[in-house]
Amino acid sequence: MNMTRFTIRSLFFPAALVALSAVSAWAADEQVAAPNKEQELIAVLRSEAPSADKAIACKSLAIYGSSAAVADLAKLLPDEQLSSWSRTALESIPGPDADAALRTAAESLQGRLLIGMINSIGVRRDVVAVDALVARLQDKDAEVVAAAAIALGRIGNEPATAALRTSLATAPAEVRSSIAEGCVLCAERLLAADKSAEAAAIYDEVRKSDVPLQRIIESTRGAILARKQDGLPLLLEQFSSPEKALFNVALMTAREFPGAAVDQALATEMLSATPAHAALIVQAMADRPQTVVLAAVLKAAESGPPEVRLSAIDALARVGDVSCLTSLLQIAIEPDADLAQAAKATLANLPGEKVDAQIVALLPKSEGPSYPVLLQLVGQRRIDAIPQLQKAMAHADPAVRSAALVALGETVALPNLSVLISQAVSPQHPEDAPVAQKALKAASIRMPDREACATELSAAVEQSKSVPTKGVLLDILGAMGGTKALAAMAAAANSKDVQLQDISSRLLGEWMTEDAAPVLLDLSKVPTNQYQIRSLRGYIRIARQFVLPEAQREEMCQKAFEAARQPAEKKLVLEILKRYPTVGTLKQAISAMQVADLKADATQAVLLIAQKLGSKGVDVSELLATAGLEKVKLEIVKAEYGSGATQKNVTEILQKQVGELPLLTLASPTYNASFGGDPVPGSVKLLKVQYKINDKAGEVSFAEDALLVFPIPK
Amino acid sequence: MSKQASMFSRRQFIRTTLAAAGAASVAPMIIPSSALGRDGAVAPSERVVIGGIGIGNRGTYDLGCFLEQKDVQFVAVCDVKEARRVAVKKIADEKYGNENCSMHRDFREVLDRKDIDAVLIATGPNWHATMAMNAARAGKDMYCEKPVTKNISQSLILAETMRRTGRVFQAGTQRRNLPHFAFACELARSGKLGTLKKVFAHPAGMQALMSGWLVPEPAPDQNVVDWDTYLGPAAWRPFNPKLLDGFNFEKGGGFVGAFNGGGVLEWGSHCVDLCQWAVGDCPPPVEYNAPKDGQLVARYENGCELIFRETGWIPLGSCPVRFEGETGWVEAGDSGKLVLSSPELLAGREVQEIGGYPATFHVRDFLNCVKTRSKPKGNADAACNAHIACHAANVALYLGRTVKYDNTTHMFINDEEANRLRSEALREPWRL
Repeated sequence: MNMTRFTIRSLFFPAALVALSAVSAWAADEQVAAPNKEQELIAVLRSEAPSADKAIACKSLAIYGSSAAVADLAKLLPDEQLSSWSRTALESIPGPDADAALRTAAESLQGRLLIGMINSIGVRRDVVAVDALVARLQDKDAEVVAAAAIALGRIGNEPATAALRTSLATAPAEVRSSIAEGCVLCAERLLAADKSAEAAAIYDEVRKSDVPLQRIIESTRGAILARKQDGLPLLLEQFSSPEKALFNVALMTAREFPGAAVDQALATEMLSATPAHAALIVQAMADRPQTVVLAAVLKAAESGPPEVRLSAIDALARVGDVSCLTSLLQIAIEPDADLAQAAKATLANLPGEKVDAQIVALLPKSEGPSYPVLLQLVGQRRIDAIPQLQKAMAHADPAVRSAALVALGETVALPNLSVLISQAVSPQHPEDAPVAQKALKAASIRMPDREACATELSAAVEQSKSVPTKGVLLDILGAMGGTKALAAMAAAANSKDVQLQDISSRLLGEWMTEDAAPVLLDLSKVPTNQYQIRSLRGYIRIARQFVLPEAQREEMCQKAFEAARQPAEKKLVLEILKRYPTVGTLKQAISAMQVADLKADATQAVLLIAQKLGSKGVDVSELLATAGLEKVKLEIVKAEYGSGATQKNVTEILQKQVGELPLLTLASPTYNASFGGDPVPGSVKLLKVQYKINDKAGEVSFAEDALLVFPIPK
Repeated sequence: MSKQASMFSRRQFIRTTLAAAGAASVAPMIIPSSALGRDGAVAPSERVVIGGIGIGNRGTYDLGCFLEQKDVQFVAVCDVKEARRVAVKKIADEKYGNENCSMHRDFREVLDRKDIDAVLIATGPNWHATMAMNAARAGKDMYCEKPVTKNISQSLILAETMRRTGRVFQAGTQRRNLPHFAFACELARSGKLGTLKKVFAHPAGMQALMSGWLVPEPAPDQNVVDWDTYLGPAAWRPFNPKLLDGFNFEKGGGFVGAFNGGGVLEWGSHCVDLCQWAVGDCPPPVEYNAPKDGQLVARYENGCELIFRETGWIPLGSCPVRFEGETGWVEAGDSGKLVLSSPELLAGREVQEIGGYPATFHVRDFLNCVKTRSKPKGNADAACNAHIACHAANVALYLGRTVKYDNTTHMFINDEEANRLRSEALREPWRL
């Protein structure tokens, strides 16, 4: 017994997170102990245990309970706090006893508790309760009537259905909606049992009743679908309804309607509908891709009111095929920008295996504004048409050449990459260079064999006499990354040309893999390199941002610190040390304290790293002692944050963060967030703190968001 | 692996801005520009009138996405907390420059309003399914935050109710309307990865969240916090302010000990939902094993595995998914990036990288479907299947053994204990 209570309570009261392993272990225990479990849980219900324990006992009985538990569960049904806990068990315990308990309780309870019983009876679909539920349809409490009607709908047997249908005709308005819902539930059940005629009759009764619109919607949908093919006229009737909701029923039900007859009917309906309605009907047509009347959708796309055309063009992206290509190409060059754009979007995704071949076939004889559209499609659809694109690149019209270059960038493979390189490096028409270079970049970054592609581009860099062109090619190599690209970049960075040094050191500084690190470190040490600092900062960036093994990062920090000649770079290294607190980075920070210009920053770094390590259980006292830093007793006496006369007392917040170092870290990176908001928006704020370290009083002011390191009072 | 991830990601994708992605990538071009608010003039007949129910932190974010849409008119807020009612009214009134947003403590007042077309449901998870059912019965379309249901039974009733009532339902599974996730799912679904073998979801902790029976404290005035309505269909427990974090309250299964699904449901309703999309929104897996070595392996009817995995992910942000076929794989996460086994899978397409899992496009999808009566991406059937997969996984997790699920009967096979975990009673007077 005690064991049981402990188990239950331990599951209910602990902290917010319960470990998976603990829960699973408990569950395993439960199964081993299953034969005795029910009796132990019943004993909890019979005891003077707190309600919390009884609640959880109920939930356990939902799994392990049997008829033996029903009587004790039933005693809780009148309890406002525990009633639904008890019903959770009773809803799941098999057998007639649980049904009987709910029925018995329903006889005596009232109001919400009664409704709970009725709801549970409905969940269990207790046919024995039908008479009692039917009687409840006359209850004075409308909520009780509603619950009974829904429960009867869920039971849905013949007597329940008959009672609800009878009641629908006579019930007062305030409960008629619920009665109707019960009727619809019965009809759904009949329809599922293939008793469609009976179902249709009920749906008809409901939709012809004086009930809220939503009940009409449900029953109209049901009446259409229950009639199967014979429901088509009723469906089409809704398209003419002045009631928007019923038009919507038609739209929705048309998508569900079986067979192909409805597709032709929709095509016809679209012709007589208002443009706004026709636009919506087209969408419904396209949501029936297997049987859609494509010719009707295409015709709607070709001419008519713009909103219908727009909708039809969009629909063709889902249901169109090669037969739509010519029309869509024509629309794509129409002056109406919305229509033209829609057509282009649809063309890019037009389904059908023959579409690509047809586009290629159209290219040789294409002229005028449709030519660039076709070329654009070659790129968008990734069609292999290199000869046709090469021909287009020699066209007199810059728009055609531009479209061809873009398409080539999207489609060219490695063997033909030289075509694009030459266009980028020495185009026949100089104004094509930017487009060609952009296309070359697009092609290069998607090329499967990156190293082979980089080899070709590297050769082009070497061959080119133009520094700007070399710069463009290097930029592409930088976007690609990889071994060859890195080698090309290093060569450029080591060249004597300052402009190339500039370009390549910038690109190396943005490199996305850590193999650039040694290149950057070497460059930072070359006296003739005008970008030594930039190179070193690039190296530091890799140490700071990349996922690296601890040892590698520490080694890089050490090397960066040694290579740095200015305090600014050394401070950047200290930032990395703070960001990745390890014993190794702590040692480096302590070592940095020996540099006069860095002492204050290095001390802060040491304290911060030590605090983070300490919070993970690492003993750093010995290391701190070597730096002359000892654990201290820090006390916050008073702390105010604000500006001028507006000061917020934040003493308690700081006091909660006190540890064993003269340093505090806040819950959030900003003071405002840590202190519950900005006390003086728009003003320069200070955090003023009176404190004691080892019982010696001190006072210090921190600028907003400064690290909270407390000087040792003298 | 991570190095390779960075490399591929950078090489293969062209970064575009959120603005550039825009509604055009998700909104079908079927509605006149004026209705979409492109020209700033939306006819009243084209507006979707919205009410909000349970608008806390997440709801306020969602509300912002709705208010961005020019064809939305937000007119009413319902919340059990007075402070939230006042705050949300302020947001709406400032947006429209009027005082018209009405405040309600009882959601039924919002559902009774005939001028309201749809509701945003962002209550605590204990309310989601019950509120959605109430909204549907009242004739409202709805955008409902996830997790949508607490158990298998609720999932099935939700889908059935939305079908029967003809309402447009969008679960708050906004990743279905983000290009990189959509592309990854399309690769899997269309066979571009070969026969699909494994889909991976990251539950972010297969642990349980508690919403316990804490030490009673004096309840505030009902107008300030309506505790009874806050509990709603959740079983009764005394007031304690620690339970007022609606976002986490009763988040899931509600098994014995009132542990509530935890990571499997909280994150699974997103990442398992994406896995379900990758397998073509087929019925959920038929077999679920107990967790082992940080993995819970479920199996679909066709043999494909759904694997809830804690570790081993390429660092692509939260909510990662991975789909493995016989010839290729793809992995995507909330950074907006995806990684492919071969760049050829990209087939020249530019996949927009939209990180931070914004809901704007999902909201737009919902509004479009309110108008067209088509099914949005996070429709009730899809949400039902994904949630059942999570609930069934939780059952295996809880029982510590394999369970088998029959998608025809919607029952666990020869497993009474598991079947008894498929549902729980709702506190009176609420029902589904």
